[in-house]
Order: sequence, then C-alpha cells, then structure tokens
Amino acid sequence: MELFANLAHGFAVAFSPINLLMCLIGALVGTLVGVLPGIGTIATVAMLLPITFGLPPVGALIMLAGIYYGAQYGGSTTSILVNIPGEATSVVTALDGHQMAKQGRAGPALAIAAIGSFFAGCVATVLIAVLGAPLTKLALAFGPAEYFSLMVLGLIFAVVLAKGSVLKAIAMIVFGLLLSMVGSDIETGASRMAFNIPELADGLGFATVAMGVFGFAEIIRNLDHGAEMDRNLVQQKITGLMPTRKDLVDSTPAILRGTVLGSILGILPGGGAVIASFAAYTLEKKLAKDPSRFGRGAIEGVASPESANNAAAQTSFIPLLTLGIPPNAVMALMVGAMTIHGIVPGPQVMQKQPDLVWGMIASMWIGNLMLIIINLPLVGIWVRLLRVPYRLMFPSIVVFCAIGIYSVNNAPVDVVLAGAFGLVGYWLIKHDFEPAPLLLGMVLGPLMEENLRRALLISRGDWSVFLSRPLSAVLLAIAAGLLVLAVLPALRAKRDEVFVESEG
Amino acid sequence: MSDTPSEAPVKSILPEWVRGPQDFIGGLAMVAVALFALWASSDLQGMHGFSFGAGTAPRMFAVLLLLLGAAVALMGVLKDGPNIAAYSWRGPLFVSAAIVFFAVGIRPFGLVVSAFAAFLIAALGSHETKWIEAIIVGACLTLGCALLFPYVLGLPMPMFPRFLIQ
Amino acid sequence: MMSIRSLAGACLSAFAALGAFAVPASAQNYPTRTITMIVPFAAGGPTDVISRIVTAHMAQTLGQSIVIENVVGAGGTTATTRAARAANDGYTLITGHMGTHAASVPLYPKLAYHPEKDFEPVALLAGTPILILARKDFPPKDLKEFIAYVKANAEKVNAAHAGIGSVSHASCELLNSILDVKPVGVPFNGTGPAMNALVAGQVDYMCDQIVNAVPQINAGTIKAYAVATPERNPSLPNVPTTAEAGLPAFQAQAWNAVFAPKGTSPAIIATLNAAAIKALDDENVRKRLLELGSVIPQPANRTPEALATLVKNEIAKWTPVLKPAS
Repeated sequence: MELFANLAHGFAVAFSPINLLMCLIGALVGTLVGVLPGIGTIATVAMLLPITFGLPPVGALIMLAGIYYGAQYGGSTTSILVNIPGEATSVVTALDGHQMAKQGRAGPALAIAAIGSFFAGCVATVLIAVLGAPLTKLALAFGPAEYFSLMVLGLIFAVVLAKGSVLKAIAMIVFGLLLSMVGSDIETGASRMAFNIPELADGLGFATVAMGVFGFAEIIRNLDHGAEMDRNLVQQKITGLMPTRKDLVDSTPAILRGTVLGSILGILPGGGAVIASFAAYTLEKKLAKDPSRFGRGAIEGVASPESANNAAAQTSFIPLLTLGIPPNAVMALMVGAMTIHGIVPGPQVMQKQPDLVWGMIASMWIGNLMLIIINLPLVGIWVRLLRVPYRLMFPSIVVFCAIGIYSVNNAPVDVVLAGAFGLVGYWLIKHDFEPAPLLLGMVLGPLMEENLRRALLISRGDWSVFLSRPLSAVLLAIAAGLLVLAVLPALRAKRDEVFVESEG
Repeated sequence: MSDTPSEAPVKSILPEWVRGPQDFIGGLAMVAVALFALWASSDLQGMHGFSFGAGTAPRMFAVLLLLLGAAVALMGVLKDGPNIAAYSWRGPLFVSAAIVFFAVGIRPFGLVVSAFAAFLIAALGSHETKWIEAIIVGACLTLGCALLFPYVLGLPMPMFPRFLIQ
Repeated sequence: MMSIRSLAGACLSAFAALGAFAVPASAQNYPTRTITMIVPFAAGGPTDVISRIVTAHMAQTLGQSIVIENVVGAGGTTATTRAARAANDGYTLITGHMGTHAASVPLYPKLAYHPEKDFEPVALLAGTPILILARKDFPPKDLKEFIAYVKANAEKVNAAHAGIGSVSHASCELLNSILDVKPVGVPFNGTGPAMNALVAGQVDYMCDQIVNAVPQINAGTIKAYAVATPERNPSLPNVPTTAEAGLPAFQAQAWNAVFAPKGTSPAIIATLNAAAIKALDDENVRKRLLELGSVIPQPANRTPEALATLVKNEIAKWTPVLKPAS
C-alpha cells in the first residue's frame, strides 16, 4: 500500500506543469542528442548542467533524466538510417536496422525501436518502483571477479554477433581490446602506447572510433564506383512506414526478452548497461530458428537490443536512487546536479527526498509516453530524409560527425583520429573484417582488464577466485557454453564448404 | 557491412600459392598491427609478483592478435577466397581532407567557416556533386549547425574566425 | 555590399593580425568581454561545483559573464596544460586543484607545465576535508585500533582509491607513508565505483573527500575514523579530527584555487582576487560551500601570496609521498 501512496505522490509531483514541461524538454533534447551523431549523452548532460542551476531541483533532475533515456530512443535513428551508432548501446541496432533501411524498411525498423523502447521503459519504471530496494543487493553482489566474468561473457557475445568468419571476428575483438589499452594504466598511471600525444593520454574515445569505423568508413565506401546503384535502389523502394502485423508478431517475444535482460544488466554499475544490448541481440540470434537472417535485416535484431538498452537506461537509476552511488558517468553528473542543489544523494535519499525520488520515477513513465508520441510521427520525417540525394547527404553527415566528435572534448585531434579510423574502417570493409566486434572489444576491454587486475589484487594473485565465487563461476560457464555453440556451426559450415568446393 | 561490392577482378600481384589474397593481406596486416603494439608496449613494466604490470595486458593481447592474424593469413593460403577489392581514391581523399580541414580550422576560423568549407571539400569526393545545389545546401546546413550546437545544445564552440572577434 | 576587393583586403589584414601578437588588454577597463574559466574535471564534480558557485558571484562583481569550460583528462593535467599556454590577458583562468597544481609534479615526470613557474596565483577558493573511511564491518573501532590493525595485518588489508592522481589516491599514499605501511592499493575508475566497493565490503579502507562520504556515513553503510583537518567538520560533528584521534601528522585537504597564466598583469590579478574575496564573503555563497562540507579560507589565506606559499608547501608535501608510486 505504501508503494501506491508513494507512486501517487510521485505522479502528483511529476504532473505539476513545470515538471511536465521539464520532462518534455528533456525528452526532446534527448531525442535530438541521440539523433545527432557524435554528441553523446555525457557531453550534453554536462553542458546542460549549469542551466539547471536556476531550476528547482526536482524539475532539473527530471529534465536530465529525460535527456538520458530520450537519447536511447534517438540513438537508434542514426544507426538505422545511416549506419552510425552514436552510443555504445546502439552499435548492434545498426547491424540489422541499417540492413532493413537498405531494404526499404527503415520505417518499420524505426517504429519497432520506439515501440520496444516504450514497452521496456514502462516495465523498467515499474521495476524501479516495486523492486528497486531489493535489486540493490545485486549491484553490491558484483565484485571485481564477477565483473571480469561478465565481461568475458560479453566478449563471447561479440563473437556470436559476427555474421562472417568467427576467426576474423575474434581477431577484431582482440584488435579492439588492444585499442582500448591506449592511454594511462589504471594501476600505475603509466602511459601506454600513447606516444606522448596528450589527447591520447586518456585513451581513444568510443565516439571517435565508432564514428570512424562505422560512419566515415561507410561514407567512403558508398562513394566507391558501383555503389551508386545500391543507394538509388534504397531510395526507390521505401515501403510502409509502420510495422506489419507479422513484424509485430515476430518482435513481441524479442521485446519481452530484451526488456528482461536489459532490466537485470542495467542494475549493475559500471558496464552492465553496455552489454545489455549485445546480450539481447545474441540471445535472439541463438534462439532464432534461422540465425542466418541476423545481420541481413531481421526485425528482432532491432527490437530486442533497443528494448534492452532502454530498460537498462532506466534500471541504471536504481543504484543511484537506493545507494546514492552513481553507476555510470551520466549518473555521476546527476549526482553533480543534485549536489549543486544541495542534495547529496545517499542510501537515505528515498526517505529524505521522496519528492525527488518518486517524482523522478513517475516522470520516467510520463517521459516514455512523451517519447513514443514524439518518435512515432518522426519516423515519417526520418524516412523522407533517406530520399535526400546521397550527393547532398554525405557531406552533411561528414560535417555533423566532425562537429559531434569535436564537441565531446573540444579536441581537434579527436576529429583527425576519427578520420584516420574512417580509413582503417574502409580497409577493414575491403578485407571483410566486421567493425562491430572491434567496437565491443574496445568498450569491454578496459572493464575486463581493470576488473581482472582488481580481482587479482584483492585475492593476492589467486586465479581460483573466478571459479570459487558462485556468480562468477556461473557467468564463466555460460560463456564457455556460448563459445562452444558459436564455434560448432563454424566448424560444421567449414565442412559443408569443403564439400561444395569439391563438388564444383 | 561485410559484403564487398563486386568489382572487376584486380590482377593479383601476389604469388599463385596465395589462394585468398583478401584474407592473406588482411591477416598479415593484423600481424603488423600486433608487432607494432608489441613494440609500442615494450617499454612498459610487466608482471611484478602477483599483480599485473602496465604492459602485461597489452602484450598478452598483442601476442594473441599476432596468432590470430597469422591464422587468418594462413586461411588465405589454404583456402580459395576473394581477391583484394578495388580501392577508389577520390572518396577517401576528399572525405579525409574535409575532416582534417575541419579539425585544423575549428579553433582559428570558428564553426561557420570550417563547417561550410568541410562540406564543400567533402562534396568534391563525389562526381555526382552539383555545385550550385551543394553551396546552397552547405550554407543552410552551416546556418543550422551554427544555431543548433551552441544555442540549442549549449556546446561552447568558436563561431567566427578568431581575428574578427578581437 | 562589400566589394570583392575590400573583402580580400579585409581577409589579408585579418590574416596579418593573426600572425601578430595580440595587444595586451588594458588592465584599467578589464574585463571588457567574457572570461573563460577552465575547470579540469567533469561538470558536477566537487571542483566544478565550487567553481560554479564562486564564479557566478564573481561575474556579478566584474560585470562580465564567466563561462566554465570543463576540460577533462589525464587527472586534470590536460586542462592545466591548456591554461598554461593560454594568452595571459586575464580572459582565460583555471580552477586549479591539489592534484593539478601540486600532486601532478611528482606523479607526471613529463608534465608540460610547472604549477609555480607557469601560473600566477589568484585566490584560494575552498578546501574539502579528507576522511579516513572503512567498510562497516572492518574490525577496528577507532583510529588507534585502525593504526594497530593496519600495521599488524599489512599483508591482508586492501586500500581502495579512485585512480592514480586522484585526491583519494594521493591522500591514501600520504596516510600510508605516515603509518609506514604498504597495503595493496586497489584502483577504481572514479569515486563512485570505489565507494560502491567500500559499501559492498569488497575493499577495507580508503581516504576520500567529505562530500561523497557524508550520506553513507550517516546511513551506516561505511564508517569514518577521522577527518584530516585541524577542526571537526560541522556536517560530521561526531567524527574526531586526526589530532584528537591520535594521528596529528595526517593533515590533508583537497583545495581549489583560481590561477591565471604566467605574466598576467598584477592589476588584473588584483581585480580578480578582490572579486573572489567578495564572493567568499557573500552569505549565500558561504552557505552553499558549507553545505558541501567545504572549508572557506580565512581572510589571511586569501591573497595571491598566500596561495603561492600554499602551492609551494603542497608540492613539497606531496613530492616525497608520491614519487615512489610513479
């Protein structure tokens, strides 16, 4: 009963005109930020933080939260339309989403991403309200050993999501891991492979590499001779804007599974949310009757990761609201916003600031509703954008990406690096290496290395901790199982290939 | 992403025993990356006692990449595979030039000049470009960016050339 | 309409102006345009919040707006390098910090600036006290027991910190060197994850700034042994000072102060210092800083000269502690 009283209180707070307005502004800015390539949520929330100085704290936080989950809605747009993932969480959306767009099905892809996100957002909001406090235990149960095992599992996901050669996918993951090692070492502070370039001291930014190997490389490749036909074809055959009945039937279980996975992984501070979308995609591909459809425009490959990343975005508020500990960089900024207003979040924030906590929870549901109302009509506009001739589209994307990358750190070197990675990405495409595993390796690399080292420091070099801690052991067992599943078909396929060759 | 556009077969300069030049060269390049990483991380401290040094993980992964690259290259020797795809020079050249110009220009010349110029340089990358149209769209885009980034999103960015402000 | 020729002429002369040195801004009517304050850490962090509170008031006094630019990276040294190389016209300032203007000297041997040689001190803004914290079920009950326990179990205890060069890392190294122990240091990526590990009981103790720790201490999820300042902090009246608890040698504060690039004219420094002092005397500013657990400097410590002395002393204090670590 207390829950309903709290929720009623929350809705009363969230429905005040000023908070509704803040929620709407947050949702709009979030969508915009998500759509613009390069501009990340961290940068935007950081930039908008000072504006919240003059606002009442509840409204300010409602707005910032709106930007955060709003960006999850918008982030899928560029992934689908132009194959540029703006955030780590929308890398996998690009795999099938962009293929759908190439097949003239950008509308259904965008719509299902919005619908999936909305459903996931609603479920996760209820989850925060009902189970927030007990779920906190999960966040505390994950120590360095568990994180390391989770990251190993995440890397196995990367192998599974490859559609070509498993060997080359693993090579790309390791390449990504190596790239992630650039920068200063967490334990000793030593500069690693940074060649005394100050901009490399903190490593390569995700946005920089992602813009390069996905965005710029895709553009350069599209400018190749012979690629024009491909593009014109896309523009001519745009079909319906909304998903068909079959699309909805196909996506429903995917959305449900994505929501569950995303909700659980989102609670884990520091990296849980990142692998949510990868995990969801892998799960769908493994469960599918015909996994070969994935990577070639399967709608489940859009529905599931998009649901997962939005669910994770919502549940990542749990550690903040129940423990007062920010689980990721955006949440750390939210803590900053609270401190600016004189609220220091802690374990008692739920009791001490009921307006803030319950108002925010209620606003998340309202925000998700607003986002789906904003995003569904936008689908038509986005799809129409695809009709813009490519000769005008590509310089625009180049400029948007360049500004976006520059804005992350105000560093021109980052822009040059992204350009260099564009050429690397072009080369990778020419040699049939996939960029998605590379990006995942890059995101998970530091988390894996740091947690491995932390776990070994705490256990004084005893490697058995990864097996003696039950949660960690379970995660490693799943990883081993998945690896076997991933390698087996590859071996089988090789036998088939050999067979075909000898025939021909 | 991975489907290579079908191009006219390029005459392979590689010896005949290389049956899959695409994989062969790709694998060798990965080996080169790995060797470079090994060299770049050679000055870093290794394991000390039970704890990792700064160089442990980079070297570990570099060796792994070396092996994987060698395996990919070996595949190129053992198995028939696609030839090396043709590269075009125009797109990569002008898109890179546009990016580099933007990077160099943003601080001294500001957003307006560098965005517009980058747009036009990138447009050189396609032979389909129609100049009048490109200039109009480029100008509109620049105006849009000049309003969107600093004002709507509040990102601090120089707008106009530095020498005009002072 | 401008003719092509005059446009070309304007461009040429503009390029010429680019090459020439900017004429030093006259100090008399300073400031005439927006001032940029570089903050070497992310928005929302303690340094950022303090900078924003104080500069908002300084801007009123100076009659020009002050834009905060957060430049993150390499423990704040990226931003500090940029500030050191900025024009010394008083329009680019930096909120320096214990890390960027003292601990960085021993930590980064290839530092591209020197806190004393490349900057003009302007004013000390606020200090944030450091606490000795431990997981809630860590056996020692008070600081004396803690010292004995850590010395007796030097092989077993783990000390968390928020990354090389962070306040928690530097202050923990200071504590360890005073106690003459070498526990295993477990690095985390920022204060949040380190605090999470402490609350979850995965690590034994750490030193951290008061802002992050107060709510956790009040909720009983972690415990505090002492605060490393001469006086108790009003937000934690029950936590003794290190002197009271038997470790007077351990004194540490994360301080934040405004610096200008070397060669900024003394008149501009004086203008800025006066504005900063005025802000620190403002009741609203004081209230907000105190809410953060900050310590506002005494009038005697607010002069540029006092800040210069502080930087000198801090470098001397941290260098022997942090040198072996790097």
